[in-house]
Amino acid sequence: MTFHWHVVWDNLDRFAAGAVVTVELTVLTMALSIPGGLLLAFLRLSPFAAVRAAATAFVELFRSTPLILQIYWVYYVLPTFSEIQFPAFETAVIGLVCNISSYNSETFRAGIVSIRAGQWNAGLALGMSRAQVMARIVLPQAAMRVLPALATTWVSLFKDTSLVSVINVEDLSYQSLKIRTETFTILEVLTAMAAIYWLMGYPQAKLVDWIHRRYKAAE
Amino acid sequence: MSGVSRVGAEQAPILTFDKISKRYGSLQALSEVSFQINRGEVVCLIGPSGSGKSTLLRCANALEMLDGGRVTFEGTDVHAPGGDARRVRQRMGMVFQNFELFPHLTVLRNITIGPTTVLRLDPAAAEARARQLLLKVGLADKAAQHPAALSGGQQQRVAIARALAMEPALMLFDEPTSALDPETIGEVLSVMKALADEGMTMVVVTHEMDFAKRVADWIVVFDQGRLIEEGPPKQIFEAATVARTREFLSHLGWHGESIAEVSGADKGGLRQ
Repeated sequence: MTFHWHVVWDNLDRFAAGAVVTVELTVLTMALSIPGGLLLAFLRLSPFAAVRAAATAFVELFRSTPLILQIYWVYYVLPTFSEIQFPAFETAVIGLVCNISSYNSETFRAGIVSIRAGQWNAGLALGMSRAQVMARIVLPQAAMRVLPALATTWVSLFKDTSLVSVINVEDLSYQSLKIRTETFTILEVLTAMAAIYWLMGYPQAKLVDWIHRRYKAAE
Repeated sequence: MSGVSRVGAEQAPILTFDKISKRYGSLQALSEVSFQINRGEVVCLIGPSGSGKSTLLRCANALEMLDGGRVTFEGTDVHAPGGDARRVRQRMGMVFQNFELFPHLTVLRNITIGPTTVLRLDPAAAEARARQLLLKVGLADKAAQHPAALSGGQQQRVAIARALAMEPALMLFDEPTSALDPETIGEVLSVMKALADEGMTMVVVTHEMDFAKRVADWIVVFDQGRLIEEGPPKQIFEAATVARTREFLSHLGWHGESIAEVSGADKGGLRQ
Protein backbone atom coordinates (compact mmCIF):
# COMPACT_ATOMS: atom_id res chain seq x y z
CA MET A 1 0.00 0.00 0.00
CA THR A 2 1.38 3.34 -1.01
CA PHE A 3 0.75 6.43 1.04
CA HIS A 4 0.38 9.87 -0.47
CA TRP A 5 1.20 12.09 2.48
CA HIS A 6 2.33 14.80 0.06
CA VAL A 7 -1.37 15.51 -0.48
CA VAL A 8 -1.52 16.74 3.09
CA TRP A 9 1.57 18.95 2.75
CA ASP A 10 0.43 20.27 -0.62
CA ASN A 11 -2.91 21.36 0.84
CA LEU A 12 -1.67 22.66 4.17
CA ASP A 13 -2.88 26.18 3.36
CA ARG A 14 -6.45 24.89 2.85
CA PHE A 15 -6.35 22.90 6.09
CA ALA A 16 -5.11 26.05 7.81
CA ALA A 17 -7.84 28.19 6.25
CA GLY A 18 -10.44 25.64 7.39
CA ALA A 19 -9.02 25.57 10.91
CA VAL A 20 -9.26 29.37 11.07
CA VAL A 21 -12.96 29.20 10.12
CA THR A 22 -13.54 26.52 12.77
CA VAL A 23 -11.94 28.72 15.43
CA GLU A 24 -13.88 31.77 14.22
CA LEU A 25 -17.16 29.86 14.42
CA THR A 26 -16.40 28.61 17.92
CA VAL A 27 -15.31 31.99 19.29
CA LEU A 28 -18.10 33.95 17.63
CA THR A 29 -20.77 31.44 18.70
CA MET A 30 -19.66 31.42 22.34
CA ALA A 31 -19.28 35.21 22.40
CA LEU A 32 -22.93 35.53 21.34
CA SER A 33 -24.24 32.56 23.34
CA ILE A 34 -23.10 33.91 26.71
CA PRO A 35 -25.32 37.03 26.53
CA GLY A 36 -27.92 34.92 24.70
CA GLY A 37 -27.92 32.28 27.42
CA LEU A 38 -28.05 34.93 30.14
CA LEU A 39 -31.03 36.58 28.47
CA LEU A 40 -32.87 33.25 28.20
CA ALA A 41 -32.02 32.46 31.84
CA PHE A 42 -33.48 35.80 32.99
CA LEU A 43 -36.60 35.18 30.90
CA ARG A 44 -36.98 31.74 32.47
CA LEU A 45 -36.77 33.34 35.93
CA SER A 46 -39.30 36.04 34.99
CA PRO A 47 -42.28 36.65 37.29
CA PHE A 48 -44.55 36.48 34.20
CA ALA A 49 -45.74 32.97 33.34
CA ALA A 50 -46.13 33.71 29.61
CA VAL A 51 -42.53 34.94 29.35
CA ARG A 52 -41.27 31.90 31.25
CA ALA A 53 -43.28 29.55 29.00
CA ALA A 54 -41.99 31.14 25.78
CA ALA A 55 -38.37 30.96 26.93
CA THR A 56 -38.80 27.38 28.13
CA ALA A 57 -40.31 26.36 24.78
CA PHE A 58 -37.36 27.89 22.91
CA VAL A 59 -34.79 26.20 25.14
CA GLU A 60 -36.44 22.79 25.05
CA LEU A 61 -36.89 22.92 21.26
CA PHE A 62 -33.20 23.59 20.66
CA ARG A 63 -31.97 21.18 23.31
CA SER A 64 -34.14 18.31 22.12
CA THR A 65 -33.54 18.36 18.35
CA PRO A 66 -30.26 17.58 16.53
CA LEU A 67 -28.01 20.51 15.75
CA ILE A 68 -27.59 19.34 12.19
CA LEU A 69 -31.36 19.52 11.67
CA GLN A 70 -31.43 23.06 13.11
CA ILE A 71 -28.73 24.16 10.67
CA TYR A 72 -30.48 22.51 7.73
CA TRP A 73 -33.76 24.02 8.76
CA VAL A 74 -32.50 27.62 8.91
CA TYR A 75 -30.64 27.18 5.59
CA TYR A 76 -33.17 25.26 3.50
CA VAL A 77 -36.62 25.47 5.12
CA LEU A 78 -36.76 29.05 6.35
CA PRO A 79 -36.33 30.53 2.82
CA THR A 80 -39.16 28.38 1.41
CA PHE A 81 -41.87 30.22 3.32
CA SER A 82 -40.20 33.54 4.03
CA GLU A 83 -37.98 36.06 2.34
CA ILE A 84 -35.25 35.23 4.80
CA GLN A 85 -32.15 33.66 3.29
CA PHE A 86 -28.89 34.03 5.15
CA PRO A 87 -25.48 33.27 3.64
CA ALA A 88 -24.00 29.96 4.79
CA PHE A 89 -21.64 31.32 7.46
CA GLU A 90 -24.35 33.51 9.04
CA THR A 91 -26.77 30.58 8.95
CA ALA A 92 -24.23 28.41 10.73
CA VAL A 93 -23.70 31.04 13.42
CA ILE A 94 -27.46 31.53 13.92
CA GLY A 95 -28.03 27.77 14.30
CA LEU A 96 -25.10 27.32 16.65
CA VAL A 97 -25.99 30.38 18.76
CA CYS A 98 -29.62 29.25 19.23
CA ASN A 99 -28.42 25.80 20.24
CA ILE A 100 -25.57 26.83 22.54
CA SER A 101 -27.58 29.70 24.09
CA SER A 102 -30.19 27.13 25.11
CA TYR A 103 -27.57 24.99 26.85
CA ASN A 104 -25.95 28.06 28.44
CA SER A 105 -29.31 29.31 29.72
CA GLU A 106 -29.76 26.10 31.71
CA THR A 107 -26.24 26.42 33.08
CA PHE A 108 -26.76 30.06 34.06
CA ARG A 109 -30.20 29.42 35.54
CA ALA A 110 -28.81 26.64 37.73
CA GLY A 111 -25.95 28.93 38.78
CA ILE A 112 -28.26 31.80 39.69
CA VAL A 113 -30.71 29.72 41.72
CA SER A 114 -27.80 28.01 43.53
CA ILE A 115 -26.99 31.31 45.29
CA ARG A 116 -28.87 31.08 48.59
CA ALA A 117 -31.66 33.45 49.54
CA GLY A 118 -29.61 34.87 52.42
CA GLN A 119 -27.30 36.56 49.92
CA TRP A 120 -30.29 38.27 48.33
CA ASN A 121 -31.54 39.35 51.75
CA ALA A 122 -28.11 40.72 52.72
CA GLY A 123 -27.95 42.82 49.55
CA LEU A 124 -31.55 44.02 49.79
CA ALA A 125 -31.13 44.83 53.50
CA LEU A 126 -28.36 47.28 52.55
CA GLY A 127 -30.91 49.10 50.39
CA MET A 128 -29.76 47.72 47.03
CA SER A 129 -32.25 47.26 44.19
CA ARG A 130 -32.91 43.75 42.90
CA ALA A 131 -30.94 44.60 39.76
CA GLN A 132 -27.96 45.72 41.86
CA VAL A 133 -28.06 42.54 43.95
CA MET A 134 -28.22 40.44 40.77
CA ALA A 135 -25.34 42.29 39.10
CA ARG A 136 -23.00 42.73 42.05
CA ILE A 137 -23.78 39.86 44.43
CA VAL A 138 -25.49 36.96 42.64
CA LEU A 139 -24.01 36.92 39.12
CA PRO A 140 -20.35 37.21 40.17
CA GLN A 141 -20.80 34.24 42.51
CA ALA A 142 -22.83 32.29 39.94
CA ALA A 143 -20.15 32.93 37.30
CA MET A 144 -17.55 31.05 39.35
CA ARG A 145 -19.91 28.11 39.77
CA VAL A 146 -20.91 27.85 36.10
CA LEU A 147 -17.40 28.20 34.69
CA PRO A 148 -16.71 24.42 34.62
CA ALA A 149 -20.02 23.66 32.85
CA LEU A 150 -19.42 26.51 30.42
CA ALA A 151 -15.95 25.18 29.61
CA THR A 152 -17.38 21.72 28.89
CA THR A 153 -19.94 23.26 26.52
CA TRP A 154 -17.09 25.14 24.82
CA VAL A 155 -15.22 21.96 23.96
CA SER A 156 -18.34 20.21 22.58
CA LEU A 157 -19.08 23.34 20.57
CA PHE A 158 -15.58 23.31 19.09
CA LYS A 159 -16.18 19.78 17.79
CA ASP A 160 -19.83 20.34 16.82
CA THR A 161 -18.90 23.21 14.49
CA SER A 162 -17.91 20.42 12.07
CA LEU A 163 -21.63 19.94 11.36
CA VAL A 164 -21.78 23.26 9.50
CA SER A 165 -19.89 21.68 6.60
CA VAL A 166 -23.26 20.26 5.48
CA ILE A 167 -24.27 23.73 4.30
CA ASN A 168 -20.88 24.38 2.68
CA VAL A 169 -19.36 26.61 5.31
CA GLU A 170 -15.66 26.23 4.58
CA ASP A 171 -14.49 25.07 7.99
CA LEU A 172 -11.87 22.42 8.70
CA SER A 173 -14.29 19.55 8.04
CA TYR A 174 -15.52 21.00 4.77
CA GLN A 175 -11.99 21.66 3.51
CA SER A 176 -10.80 18.20 4.52
CA LEU A 177 -13.72 16.40 2.89
CA LYS A 178 -13.27 18.46 -0.25
CA ILE A 179 -9.55 17.66 -0.50
CA ARG A 180 -10.42 13.99 0.00
CA THR A 181 -12.90 14.05 -2.89
CA GLU A 182 -10.50 15.88 -5.17
CA THR A 183 -7.50 13.62 -4.50
CA PHE A 184 -9.09 10.25 -3.63
CA THR A 185 -6.76 10.00 -0.61
CA ILE A 186 -9.09 9.00 2.18
CA LEU A 187 -6.70 7.69 4.83
CA GLU A 188 -4.15 10.49 4.59
CA VAL A 189 -6.61 13.36 4.49
CA LEU A 190 -8.91 12.08 7.21
CA THR A 191 -5.92 11.25 9.41
CA ALA A 192 -4.60 14.77 8.91
CA MET A 193 -8.05 16.14 9.73
CA ALA A 194 -8.16 14.10 12.94
CA ALA A 195 -4.66 15.23 13.89
CA ILE A 196 -5.49 18.90 13.41
CA TYR A 197 -8.74 18.63 15.42
CA TRP A 198 -6.88 16.74 18.14
CA LEU A 199 -4.00 19.23 18.29
CA MET A 200 -6.47 22.06 18.73
CA GLY A 201 -8.97 20.23 20.94
CA TYR A 202 -6.63 18.43 23.34
CA PRO A 203 -5.20 21.59 24.98
CA GLN A 204 -8.76 22.89 25.37
CA ALA A 205 -9.88 19.66 27.02
CA LYS A 206 -6.89 19.82 29.38
CA LEU A 207 -7.73 23.44 30.19
CA VAL A 208 -11.31 22.40 31.00
CA ASP A 209 -10.02 19.66 33.32
CA TRP A 210 -7.91 22.28 35.07
CA ILE A 211 -10.89 24.66 35.39
CA HIS A 212 -12.97 21.83 36.87
CA ARG A 213 -10.30 21.08 39.48
CA ARG A 214 -9.60 24.73 40.22
CA TYR A 215 -13.20 25.85 40.71
CA LYS A 216 -14.55 22.68 42.22
CA ALA A 217 -12.03 23.09 45.01
CA ALA A 218 -13.15 26.68 45.53
CA GLU A 219 -16.72 25.69 46.38
CA MET B 1 -47.12 49.91 78.12
CA SER B 2 -47.86 47.94 81.25
CA GLY B 3 -47.23 50.97 83.46
CA VAL B 4 -43.52 50.24 83.96
CA SER B 5 -41.13 53.12 83.49
CA ARG B 6 -39.13 52.69 80.32
CA VAL B 7 -35.88 54.42 79.44
CA GLY B 8 -36.33 56.54 76.34
CA ALA B 9 -40.09 56.21 76.54
CA GLU B 10 -40.49 59.96 76.71
CA GLN B 11 -39.19 60.12 73.12
CA ALA B 12 -41.21 59.36 70.03
CA PRO B 13 -41.03 55.72 68.97
CA ILE B 14 -38.70 55.06 66.01
CA LEU B 15 -40.24 51.71 65.05
CA THR B 16 -43.80 50.62 65.75
CA PHE B 17 -45.46 47.28 65.11
CA ASP B 18 -49.22 47.62 65.02
CA LYS B 19 -51.19 44.36 65.04
CA ILE B 20 -48.95 42.72 62.45
CA SER B 21 -49.86 39.25 61.18
CA LYS B 22 -47.97 36.92 58.89
CA ARG B 23 -48.96 33.50 57.54
CA TYR B 24 -46.94 30.89 55.69
CA GLY B 25 -49.57 28.63 54.17
CA SER B 26 -51.44 27.20 57.14
CA LEU B 27 -48.78 28.30 59.64
CA GLN B 28 -49.65 31.49 61.50
CA ALA B 29 -46.12 32.88 62.02
CA LEU B 30 -47.27 36.13 63.65
CA SER B 31 -50.66 36.98 65.16
CA GLU B 32 -51.53 40.62 65.72
CA VAL B 33 -48.24 41.59 67.34
CA SER B 34 -48.01 45.17 68.64
CA PHE B 35 -45.10 46.89 70.40
CA GLN B 36 -42.72 49.75 69.86
CA ILE B 37 -39.04 50.60 69.93
CA ASN B 38 -37.94 54.04 71.09
CA ARG B 39 -34.87 55.88 69.89
CA GLY B 40 -31.72 54.78 71.74
CA GLU B 41 -33.29 51.64 73.19
CA VAL B 42 -31.99 48.09 73.06
CA VAL B 43 -34.96 45.75 72.75
CA CYS B 44 -34.36 42.00 72.95
CA LEU B 45 -36.85 39.57 71.47
CA ILE B 46 -36.80 36.21 73.23
CA GLY B 47 -38.85 33.04 73.07
CA PRO B 48 -38.70 29.47 71.76
CA SER B 49 -37.46 28.71 68.23
CA GLY B 50 -40.20 29.16 65.66
CA SER B 51 -42.10 31.64 67.79
CA GLY B 52 -41.98 34.34 65.09
CA LYS B 53 -39.11 36.56 66.31
CA SER B 54 -37.01 36.34 63.15
CA THR B 55 -40.07 36.70 60.93
CA LEU B 56 -40.90 39.88 62.78
CA LEU B 57 -37.43 41.31 62.03
CA ARG B 58 -37.81 40.52 58.34
CA CYS B 59 -41.19 42.27 58.35
CA ALA B 60 -39.55 45.33 59.92
CA ASN B 61 -37.44 46.05 56.83
CA ALA B 62 -39.92 44.63 54.30
CA LEU B 63 -37.91 41.54 53.40
CA GLU B 64 -41.27 39.89 54.17
CA MET B 65 -44.68 41.26 53.28
CA LEU B 66 -47.43 41.45 55.91
CA ASP B 67 -50.79 39.72 55.87
CA GLY B 68 -52.20 42.30 58.25
CA GLY B 69 -51.29 45.26 60.39
CA ARG B 70 -48.76 48.01 59.94
CA VAL B 71 -45.06 48.67 60.57
CA THR B 72 -44.09 52.31 60.96
CA PHE B 73 -40.44 53.41 60.88
CA GLU B 74 -39.52 57.05 61.43
CA GLY B 75 -43.11 57.95 60.63
CA THR B 76 -43.30 56.02 57.33
CA ASP B 77 -45.47 52.98 56.62
CA VAL B 78 -42.81 50.42 55.70
CA HIS B 79 -45.15 48.29 53.57
CA ALA B 80 -47.14 51.08 51.91
CA PRO B 81 -48.01 50.12 48.31
CA GLY B 82 -45.68 52.06 46.06
CA GLY B 83 -43.70 52.96 49.16
CA ASP B 84 -39.96 53.06 49.20
CA ALA B 85 -38.73 49.96 51.03
CA ARG B 86 -35.19 50.68 49.80
CA ARG B 87 -35.09 53.98 51.69
CA VAL B 88 -36.29 52.26 54.86
CA ARG B 89 -33.62 49.56 54.51
CA GLN B 90 -30.87 52.15 54.07
CA ARG B 91 -31.76 53.52 57.50
CA MET B 92 -32.09 50.07 59.14
CA GLY B 93 -29.01 47.87 59.39
CA MET B 94 -29.46 44.10 59.56
CA VAL B 95 -27.18 41.38 60.91
CA PHE B 96 -27.99 37.77 60.03
CA GLN B 97 -27.58 34.50 61.90
CA ASN B 98 -25.38 33.11 59.09
CA PHE B 99 -23.45 36.38 58.59
CA GLU B 100 -24.22 36.41 54.84
CA LEU B 101 -21.01 38.21 53.96
CA PHE B 102 -20.40 38.35 50.21
CA PRO B 103 -17.83 35.58 49.69
CA HIS B 104 -16.50 36.92 46.38
CA LEU B 105 -15.52 40.27 47.89
CA THR B 106 -12.76 41.23 50.30
CA VAL B 107 -13.66 42.25 53.83
CA LEU B 108 -13.10 45.90 52.89
CA ARG B 109 -15.30 45.67 49.78
CA ASN B 110 -18.01 43.91 51.80
CA ILE B 111 -18.19 47.04 53.92
CA THR B 112 -17.89 49.63 51.13
CA ILE B 113 -20.32 48.06 48.66
CA GLY B 114 -23.42 49.43 50.44
CA PRO B 115 -22.19 53.03 50.73
CA THR B 116 -20.77 53.14 47.18
CA THR B 117 -23.69 51.51 45.35
CA VAL B 118 -26.62 52.69 47.44
CA LEU B 119 -25.51 56.00 48.96
CA ARG B 120 -23.26 56.83 45.95
CA LEU B 121 -20.48 57.65 48.39
CA ASP B 122 -17.10 58.40 46.86
CA PRO B 123 -14.94 55.20 46.99
CA ALA B 124 -12.15 56.88 48.96
CA ALA B 125 -14.60 58.18 51.56
CA ALA B 126 -16.29 54.78 51.76
CA GLU B 127 -12.95 53.08 52.29
CA ALA B 128 -11.96 55.52 55.02
CA ARG B 129 -15.26 54.84 56.77
CA ALA B 130 -14.81 51.07 56.36
CA ARG B 131 -11.29 51.12 57.82
CA GLN B 132 -12.54 53.09 60.80
CA LEU B 133 -15.31 50.54 61.37
CA LEU B 134 -12.86 47.64 61.05
CA LEU B 135 -10.70 49.27 63.70
CA LYS B 136 -13.78 49.59 65.88
CA VAL B 137 -14.66 45.88 65.60
CA GLY B 138 -11.00 44.91 66.06
CA LEU B 139 -10.34 43.59 62.56
CA ALA B 140 -8.26 46.34 60.95
CA ASP B 141 -5.69 43.75 59.82
CA LYS B 142 -8.30 41.68 57.92
CA ALA B 143 -9.32 44.32 55.35
CA ALA B 144 -7.73 42.53 52.38
CA GLN B 145 -8.88 39.02 53.35
CA HIS B 146 -11.86 37.19 51.92
CA PRO B 147 -14.59 36.11 54.35
CA ALA B 148 -13.70 32.41 54.01
CA ALA B 149 -10.36 33.12 55.71
CA LEU B 150 -12.10 34.44 58.85
CA SER B 151 -13.57 32.67 61.87
CA GLY B 152 -17.32 32.84 62.46
CA GLY B 153 -16.95 35.47 65.15
CA GLN B 154 -14.74 37.57 62.90
CA GLN B 155 -17.19 37.23 60.00
CA GLN B 156 -20.04 38.37 62.18
CA ARG B 157 -18.06 41.40 63.35
CA VAL B 158 -17.43 42.28 59.69
CA ALA B 159 -21.17 41.88 59.06
CA ILE B 160 -21.85 44.35 61.87
CA ALA B 161 -19.35 46.79 60.33
CA ARG B 162 -21.00 46.31 56.93
CA ALA B 163 -24.38 47.29 58.37
CA LEU B 164 -22.92 50.23 60.33
CA ALA B 165 -21.25 51.60 57.18
CA MET B 166 -24.70 52.70 56.00
CA GLU B 167 -24.93 54.86 59.17
CA PRO B 168 -28.32 53.40 60.07
CA ALA B 169 -30.72 54.86 62.61
CA LEU B 170 -31.50 51.38 63.93
CA MET B 171 -29.89 47.95 63.86
CA LEU B 172 -31.70 44.63 63.56
CA PHE B 173 -29.86 41.56 64.86
CA ASP B 174 -31.29 38.16 63.89
CA GLU B 175 -29.80 35.61 66.31
CA PRO B 176 -26.31 37.02 65.67
CA THR B 177 -24.50 34.43 67.81
CA SER B 178 -26.57 31.30 67.17
CA ALA B 179 -24.29 29.99 64.41
CA LEU B 180 -21.07 30.69 66.32
CA ASP B 181 -18.68 28.44 68.19
CA PRO B 182 -19.00 29.10 71.93
CA GLU B 183 -15.52 30.61 72.13
CA THR B 184 -16.32 33.33 69.58
CA ILE B 185 -19.73 34.34 70.92
CA GLY B 186 -18.18 36.69 73.47
CA GLU B 187 -16.32 38.81 70.93
CA VAL B 188 -19.52 39.47 68.98
CA LEU B 189 -21.57 40.21 72.10
CA SER B 190 -18.99 42.70 73.35
CA VAL B 191 -19.07 44.57 70.02
CA MET B 192 -22.86 44.71 70.36
CA LYS B 193 -22.61 45.84 73.97
CA ALA B 194 -20.26 48.67 72.96
CA LEU B 195 -22.66 49.67 70.20
CA ALA B 196 -25.50 49.80 72.72
CA ASP B 197 -23.33 51.93 75.04
CA GLU B 198 -22.84 54.41 72.18
CA GLY B 199 -26.61 54.83 72.10
CA MET B 200 -27.44 52.80 68.97
CA THR B 201 -31.07 51.74 68.74
CA MET B 202 -31.06 47.95 68.52
CA VAL B 203 -33.60 45.17 68.07
CA VAL B 204 -31.98 41.87 68.95
CA VAL B 205 -33.45 38.40 68.50
CA THR B 206 -31.36 36.29 70.85
CA HIS B 207 -31.09 33.19 72.99
CA GLU B 208 -28.25 34.80 75.00
CA MET B 209 -30.16 35.52 78.18
CA ASP B 210 -27.13 36.97 79.98
CA PHE B 211 -26.77 39.53 77.20
CA ALA B 212 -30.50 40.31 77.21
CA LYS B 213 -30.52 40.82 80.95
CA ARG B 214 -27.39 42.97 81.01
CA VAL B 215 -27.83 45.11 77.90
CA ALA B 216 -31.53 45.29 77.03
CA ASP B 217 -33.72 48.18 78.10
CA TRP B 218 -36.80 46.22 77.20
CA ILE B 219 -37.59 42.57 76.65
CA VAL B 220 -40.36 41.23 74.44
CA VAL B 221 -41.33 37.57 74.85
CA PHE B 222 -42.81 35.60 71.94
CA ASP B 223 -44.54 32.26 71.87
CA GLN B 224 -46.28 30.65 68.89
CA GLY B 225 -46.42 33.87 66.88
CA ARG B 226 -47.85 35.91 69.74
CA LEU B 227 -46.37 38.56 71.98
CA ILE B 228 -47.03 37.05 75.41
CA GLU B 229 -45.24 39.48 77.67
CA GLU B 230 -43.03 42.56 77.59
CA GLY B 231 -41.22 44.58 80.19
CA PRO B 232 -37.84 45.65 81.56
CA PRO B 233 -35.27 42.83 82.06
CA LYS B 234 -35.61 42.80 85.82
CA GLN B 235 -39.31 42.13 85.62
CA ILE B 236 -39.08 39.49 82.89
CA PHE B 237 -36.21 37.57 84.45
CA GLU B 238 -37.12 37.88 88.11
CA ALA B 239 -40.86 38.37 88.20
CA ALA B 240 -42.44 37.26 84.96
CA THR B 241 -46.20 37.47 85.22
CA VAL B 242 -46.96 35.03 82.41
CA ALA B 243 -46.56 31.34 83.24
CA ARG B 244 -45.32 30.52 79.72
CA THR B 245 -42.47 33.06 80.10
CA ARG B 246 -41.34 31.46 83.38
CA GLU B 247 -41.58 28.03 81.77
CA PHE B 248 -39.45 29.15 78.78
CA LEU B 249 -36.81 30.70 81.01
CA SER B 250 -36.61 27.68 83.28
CA HIS B 251 -36.13 25.44 80.24
CA LEU B 252 -33.05 27.53 79.49
CA GLY B 253 -31.86 26.88 83.03
CA TRP B 254 -32.79 30.36 84.20
CA HIS B 255 -34.15 30.41 87.70
CA GLY B 256 -34.14 34.10 88.44
CA GLU B 257 -30.46 34.39 89.30
CA SER B 258 -28.96 37.83 89.54
CA ILE B 259 -27.18 39.36 86.57
CA ALA B 260 -24.33 37.22 85.28
CA GLU B 261 -21.32 38.25 83.30
CA VAL B 262 -21.68 38.21 79.54
CA SER B 263 -19.82 35.04 78.66
CA GLY B 264 -16.34 35.69 77.38
CA ALA B 265 -16.87 39.43 77.08
CA ASP B 266 -13.26 40.05 78.02
CA LYS B 267 -11.86 38.08 75.12
CA GLY B 268 -11.68 41.36 73.25
CA GLY B 269 -14.00 42.09 70.40
CA LEU B 270 -13.84 45.81 70.67
CA ARG B 271 -10.81 48.01 70.46
CA GLN B 272 -11.12 51.72 70.16
